[in-house]
Amino acid sequence: MFRRVLIVALLLSTLGVGAVGAQDGVTITWWTQSAAMPSNIQEVLVDAFNAAHPDITLEMTPQENLNETLRVAIQAGEAPDLLVTPGASFIAEFVDAGLVEPLDDAAAELGWADKILDWAYQSGQLGGVLYSIPLTYESLVLFYNKTVFEENGWDPPTSIDEFNAIAAAAEDIGIFPLAYGNATWQPSNEHLMGMYLNAFAGRENVYKALVGEIPWTHESIAGATDLLREHIADKGWFSGSLENYFANGGDDSRVELASGDAAMMLSGTWNFRGIGQFFEEAGTEWDWVPIPPMSDMAGEYGYELATGTTVSVNAQSPNKEAAIKALDFLISDPALVLQLAADVGFGEWVVPVHFGVDDFPEGTDERVVRFFSDFAAVTGEGRIGYTTWTFWPNDPNVHLWEAVENVWWGDISVEEYLEEHERLWQIERDAGNLLPVPAPAMGGY
Amino acid sequence: MTTVRAGTVSSPGRDRQPLRDLGRWAFVAPVMFLNLVVIVGPAFFGVYIAFTDWSGVGEMNFVGLENFRNLLQDQVFWKALRNNLVWTAIFLVVPVVLGLLGAYMLTGIKRGQMFMRVAFFVPYVLPSVVTTHIWRYLMHPRVGLGQWLSDSFGINFLDRAWLGSRDTALYGIAFMDNWHFWGFPLVLLLAAMSAVDVELYEVARLDGASRFQQFRHVTLPSIRPTLVFLLLMISIWSALVFDYIFLTTGGGPANASEVMGTHLYTTAFERFKTGYAATIGLVMVLWVALVVGGFVYLRKRGWEI
Repeated sequence: MFRRVLIVALLLSTLGVGAVGAQDGVTITWWTQSAAMPSNIQEVLVDAFNAAHPDITLEMTPQENLNETLRVAIQAGEAPDLLVTPGASFIAEFVDAGLVEPLDDAAAELGWADKILDWAYQSGQLGGVLYSIPLTYESLVLFYNKTVFEENGWDPPTSIDEFNAIAAAAEDIGIFPLAYGNATWQPSNEHLMGMYLNAFAGRENVYKALVGEIPWTHESIAGATDLLREHIADKGWFSGSLENYFANGGDDSRVELASGDAAMMLSGTWNFRGIGQFFEEAGTEWDWVPIPPMSDMAGEYGYELATGTTVSVNAQSPNKEAAIKALDFLISDPALVLQLAADVGFGEWVVPVHFGVDDFPEGTDERVVRFFSDFAAVTGEGRIGYTTWTFWPNDPNVHLWEAVENVWWGDISVEEYLEEHERLWQIERDAGNLLPVPAPAMGGY
Repeated sequence: MTTVRAGTVSSPGRDRQPLRDLGRWAFVAPVMFLNLVVIVGPAFFGVYIAFTDWSGVGEMNFVGLENFRNLLQDQVFWKALRNNLVWTAIFLVVPVVLGLLGAYMLTGIKRGQMFMRVAFFVPYVLPSVVTTHIWRYLMHPRVGLGQWLSDSFGINFLDRAWLGSRDTALYGIAFMDNWHFWGFPLVLLLAAMSAVDVELYEVARLDGASRFQQFRHVTLPSIRPTLVFLLLMISIWSALVFDYIFLTTGGGPANASEVMGTHLYTTAFERFKTGYAATIGLVMVLWVALVVGGFVYLRKRGWEI
């Protein structure tokens, strides 16, 4: 009998200790995609936060397949306090399911609207309510092999005519005008579709299509789709042929560009991370320029807005206040953000907070600083474009990159493709699943 | 003399029978419980969500047969199903024939047979991510084997974008999966052939049977259960094929190498139509059920398989 009493007493005392321990401090959990995680995140973010908040312990855990793991964990009620998703469109269904905590009150109290870039702040809103904060932002540019350009006396293109002239000249000397491929990431198609939509149809038309003022079958959208079809399928500008495009992976494309087998590459600023290695090995130089406008409708060049992963607070978390403090800690310190971003070559973890040229860590590549500086100036004037993974609902987004392959192979016409795209958009409009879209500067072209 | 009709007198052993049965069930219970939780439960849940519009998180609404109606009109699904059938046909023939030939030839080798077994089996134990990575480069149109053969020896017919063309993408992936897989049937069939009574071959030889006739009339009938088991498993695995295609083309170009597994993945994890994805999953289950059902039916009809 005495032994039983002793055991019960020990159990109760253990529970009691646990309860006291929980009152002493809270532990908040944050899962992040392992491939995108800066190697200095423990020191720069986690340790710094924990030191500044003795009553809170932040634990960051890398995950190999974060999206799939998170979805399962949410169902099991085992999700972390901070929810990281691959993009704004992923948040919508979590919000519908009541899994994400609204952040408006915290944002107002902590002044987040002033800390985060305006368009990025808006991208985290659904129905006017803030649910997420982008963990990184990026855009699309034209990379080129500077060595090849200099050897041939070419200047980086600033218009579609110059772009066409360089493509023709590249073919004349036996190299590909452009390097690219989707073998290792099938949705790479959407990078190209997004670029051509914005650079040909123009930001105003894309905006109107996004908000439903014109259909996706509009002639400007059809023109953009057809121009890409012509470049990739008819002319084989991307790595030599449509077949080569489908056989090329991301690294194959970078090798082609660095080795001088291709003159240019239309891709994202995530390439800042690691592209230098390929050029170092090849003994050549790289640089970038904004994507040249491809029609009169496009006006002056702009930058497409893109948020990558987003972070939200789990509505089921018992530690919401602590989780909000962790977010605030991150977005309140541009120097900390740039330290994290620098560690991954500004290809990830570029949290969209306000920072200037002088804030960049010493030794940051001039080409990277030039991009962020120009991006801030140009987008500040409203010369913005729209990436498909930030502003398209999921179903139309998958259709955009998947079915366009049928257009390139000639299975379906551009018109048939866009009719189906419009149909899918209408379903999303009817369901109220549209994402917030910042308006561009109108009528400037 | 007293006669006792069988069954009318209870023995102590019979009294304990229900208790023994209970004991047996008690031993099986943990496994059954586990099976119920991780197999039967999710399976029934999967069937249920095929009738809903569930996105994978949040609430699910019952939509009746809508997912099945959509499936009938889904061109990508039909293309995927057709590709699964092509894949099955390829794998029922190529690795099985290679395995049969290889195993039959190896039975005649005494020295070095174990080395050959291991050599043929090694690709099978390589992770698919490694195999696909290597073969993606070997099949690359600019740095691959075809390009090298063309440049070095003027052999041009292999110099093409095997995985980049929709005419060859599915066959290219099937080739690399065959390269990895065929060692498995070889080792399995070799084990079966080794168990065949050597006296049968001696008798056949005395009767003047040629090597082919020995294979046809002695080897094949003797290894039939193993062979049928292999064909059965290949038919099931072919419905579930996913990794090699997902890691090389993702189902492209233009759905040319799409199979039900990749279509299901895209539907569930990129379009977030988990209910509809479960419907595709049910078709895969139906496929497996038909194969297993056919196997059971033939056995009941007296086939020695």
